[in-house]
Amino acid sequence: MRIRNALVATALLVVTMFGFASPASASESIGSCIIEVADELHTQIAGGMSESEAYAQAEDAAEECIEAPNPVLPDPAELIWVTIAFLVLLGVGIKFAFPLITKAMQARSDRIREDLEAAERTRLDAEAAAADYRASLGDAEAESARIMDEARAAAEAYRSSQKAAADAEAADIRAKANADAESIKSQALSDLRADVVQLAVGAAEQVVQHNLDAAAQSELIENYINQVGSAN
Amino acid sequence: MLEDQASAYAEALFAVTRAEGDHERVEDELFRFARALEGSPELREGLGDPEIPTVKRQQIVEDLLGSSAASTTVGIVSLLVATDRMSDFSQIIDAFVNRVARHSGAKVANVRSAVELSADQRERLTAALEQQVGHKVALKVIVDPTVLGGVVTEIGDTVIDGSVRRRLNQLREVF
Repeated sequence: MRIRNALVATALLVVTMFGFASPASASESIGSCIIEVADELHTQIAGGMSESEAYAQAEDAAEECIEAPNPVLPDPAELIWVTIAFLVLLGVGIKFAFPLITKAMQARSDRIREDLEAAERTRLDAEAAAADYRASLGDAEAESARIMDEARAAAEAYRSSQKAAADAEAADIRAKANADAESIKSQALSDLRADVVQLAVGAAEQVVQHNLDAAAQSELIENYINQVGSAN
Repeated sequence: MLEDQASAYAEALFAVTRAEGDHERVEDELFRFARALEGSPELREGLGDPEIPTVKRQQIVEDLLGSSAASTTVGIVSLLVATDRMSDFSQIIDAFVNRVARHSGAKVANVRSAVELSADQRERLTAALEQQVGHKVALKVIVDPTVLGGVVTEIGDTVIDGSVRRRLNQLREVF
């Protein structure tokens, strides 16, 4: 808005300058003066003036064209008007346009400063974010390292537990195998002992049967009777 | 049920033998025959085989007991063969023996020995057993070679084992 006001004020100043400018300088050029001199020459010859006299007058007129108004230095009147217009425009500009321009420039400066400040803040924020990111990256690396350590520890613990379980199972299998072997050995010894006892007792029975004659049988019966009688 | 039938037969046999007046001899012969029957499965199956005519089986009984046993004994065995009671013969005779012993106020002592006991040995063993159990005893001797030597006596639930077989079994258990 401020920029637009400044542009309007500048345009008004330019239009005013051109509006108050003098038209004389444009019509008083050498070219147009020579043309006028040529026209006058032609008219004078056509009017019956001698050519020499007409040419002499034309030379004078042409010299006057050469001495025509200086395009660089305006006429004093024009200069006064231009000065007055300039002063008026300067006053108008100082009164209306300059504050607007100053205000617009100040606003622009403020905006640029704010933008710079915002950019600085953004930069600081970005740097902070970058720092945070780097910190989080560091944390992530540390967390990753911690997770890896934990994973390695867990794997080691699992391997140890599995090894312990396998060792225990192997020990159980060995113990069971030893127990089975011991049981089989004991059973074999027991069976062997039973067979030996059976054979020994069978042999003893055979011996007893052959040696138990009537006298021995009678003696056994007598002993039995005596034992029963004496037991009470 | 079997005990009831055995007791009924025992009562009937006791009544018959008491009427005949020779129940002690008949009791002893029936007891011995019952033990012999237990030791001879062929004889027990033959006398109890329904495929063999009853007359034929009774003739076998006559041939086995006729010359040595009392007529009452032969008649009782023939009766049990004819009524197909050979499978229950031992129970009936044991009930009869107990019934006779109860009649005389005694307890039956089943004595198993490898050899036959002399009369003197019977008397002294009876006296010793009566002294042991504090009751009158009716001695029933069974010759059993499996005893090997010595004597085994059963009085009710009491067993007094002085046999060589027991000592051999003890020897086997020790080893």
